[in-house]
Amino acid sequence: MTSSQQVLLSPAELSYLHSSLSLTPPIRPDGRSPTQYRPLSAETGILPGTNGSARICFADGTEAIVGVKAEVEKTKRKWDDDAVYTENSHNDDEEQQQDGRGEASNGNGNSDWVELTVEIPGYRDDDPSTVFLAQMLSEALLADGGFIKKLRINRRFHWKLYLDILLISPPLSYPLPLLSLTTHLALLATRLPRLKSEGDEDPFFDDDWAAAPYLYSRNPTTKRIAERPPVTLLVMAVGGNIIFDPSKEELAVADVALAVSIGDATTSQRSQGEDDRMDVDSGNSGGRNLKLLSIRTVDPPSRLTPPGVANAANSAYGHAQVVNTGANQKMPEARQTESEAVEGVWKPPRGGAKAIVMGALVQKVLVRGGVADEVLDALEGVDTS
Amino acid sequence: MADRRRINGPPGSTIPPVFEDDAGQPEIMNGKGRDRAPNTIRKMFLKTGVTPSASGSAYLEFEDSGKSGVSGLKLSCTVHGPRSLPRSSPFSPHIVLSAHIKYAPFATKQRRGYLRDPSERDLGTHLETALRGAIIADRWPKSGVDIIISIIEGDQDRETSKSQGDETWDMMNALSGCITVASAALADAGIDCVDTVAGGVAALVQDAGEDSTPRIVVDPIPSDHEKVLGACCIAYLPTRDEVTNLWFKGDLPASDAGLYTQLVENGMQASRNANRVLVECLGEATS
Repeated sequence: MTSSQQVLLSPAELSYLHSSLSLTPPIRPDGRSPTQYRPLSAETGILPGTNGSARICFADGTEAIVGVKAEVEKTKRKWDDDAVYTENSHNDDEEQQQDGRGEASNGNGNSDWVELTVEIPGYRDDDPSTVFLAQMLSEALLADGGFIKKLRINRRFHWKLYLDILLISPPLSYPLPLLSLTTHLALLATRLPRLKSEGDEDPFFDDDWAAAPYLYSRNPTTKRIAERPPVTLLVMAVGGNIIFDPSKEELAVADVALAVSIGDATTSQRSQGEDDRMDVDSGNSGGRNLKLLSIRTVDPPSRLTPPGVANAANSAYGHAQVVNTGANQKMPEARQTESEAVEGVWKPPRGGAKAIVMGALVQKVLVRGGVADEVLDALEGVDTS
Repeated sequence: MADRRRINGPPGSTIPPVFEDDAGQPEIMNGKGRDRAPNTIRKMFLKTGVTPSASGSAYLEFEDSGKSGVSGLKLSCTVHGPRSLPRSSPFSPHIVLSAHIKYAPFATKQRRGYLRDPSERDLGTHLETALRGAIIADRWPKSGVDIIISIIEGDQDRETSKSQGDETWDMMNALSGCITVASAALADAGIDCVDTVAGGVAALVQDAGEDSTPRIVVDPIPSDHEKVLGACCIAYLPTRDEVTNLWFKGDLPASDAGLYTQLVENGMQASRNANRVLVECLGEATS
């Protein structure tokens, strides 16, 4: 599947793609600019049986739905947690102190409060690439502890969140950007029943769904979402160019591909009054305060592509009779593969990427007013209520 | 899915009883955290050719920190191949690489099952990415190689109770060890690589104490520090000066790009150090 899937392109096609993507500006097969995303249509709240759901359909026909379900679960006491093992925990002072501690340790939550599964048609759910996608998405979600804290009900109970990500079309391209954007929208649309009980008693909820608050709370006056879930962008480098949201064919000639997860730090951890002021500020500066949550190298399928054979090494071509020296006779395949790079003959990339190139990719994602901003703005335009 | 074919241990977690120290305080509180310089990695022991039946093998051990109940990382890697692909598999112009990483059931604080769990599969994918860049894959068309790593002892502090979410940081350390040991085993198996690839980890850590500012250390032990703010694991080819795998996790403000660059730089430095051990070990093996 996914990134390491066999690419059905001939060496000549790969070479053509590579050279057209290496031009300045690059010419992409579908005519997009290097930073342009595929057009998409999105909707939320499509599944009535879930706490939140979303569907995104990319213009190339790939489509994904995400359903978020929440269950109340008893929080496992950590074995060092508090008074359980100490005898003199009954006086009030101690209790108070322990409350504070419980808050500190329990408030952090645990990463197994979120279960994220990815389903891709035609692939086993324990396929390494499916697992890789799921881990990448959950890693981004859990990278700042803020998300897990939202799931805490009280010291004894928490929400367990199940995110089920389904790709419902065949994987025509590496599905990471699609799945990430769909998950983002589904989380924005997620609502949890309003808690009626207080303190550490057994949780009791309001059965009025209209009163259920959103997991990502809205500013009551501006209806603006204060904090947003992370998004993961796929970005690749080919030649000297940086290309966002590559299609399958483009990924097949990538020198290096990175999945970069970013969060929006614009309004988190700020009070409401400040929030409004910040709105004005950010309007002026034109950009968000992004934060970098995770980076993973995606194994580009270009390493698995078949190499082309230059005319000089191709005895079938006629004029170039290959001289078999002693070394070559022992290793006939070395003759072909160790040839010099020839213009117009595809050679799969070997080795890694320079740290500077990777740094440039990350920088390009994080730049103020760049693609990440554009994507977040576009997602903000989707009606999630 | 329960594993019904084997006799498994108890389903719940079994944690050995932990007794309070004489000092009565965990070591973090005593200010005894990391005793190495920020830019040095732990000592390691690497030996190739430990498994005679495999075409290549290596064993890697990290020095433990001397605390009781803390074990270093112990890895054993075997490489089988290159061998011909089964008849049923499609044609491949390159060597087909498959990496399996498995924690021994007793390697970590929490017992691991016999079946690989998602985090282990994930590590395997990372390792594949790291090695695929290093191997000259087109010298073996129509063949495959299996790289099997068992983590005999994961680098975990049994005594720290507050190791909340530390598993991911431990995974990074484990991955860097896996990359180094797999690279040694590949060389032992005689599979051509562009260079020896080695792993390195750098982390941005916050130490205990009020006035401590976050600092960058290489080869971090999460239990030595109050909090790990971000870490990156790098697979690096020193002679080509190229990175084959980069895995970063954390929470960094985008405005501070220098921090990210520094982390990567330090990760590369750590992997250069590991590579020195690797090269020396391979030199010993051939002489």
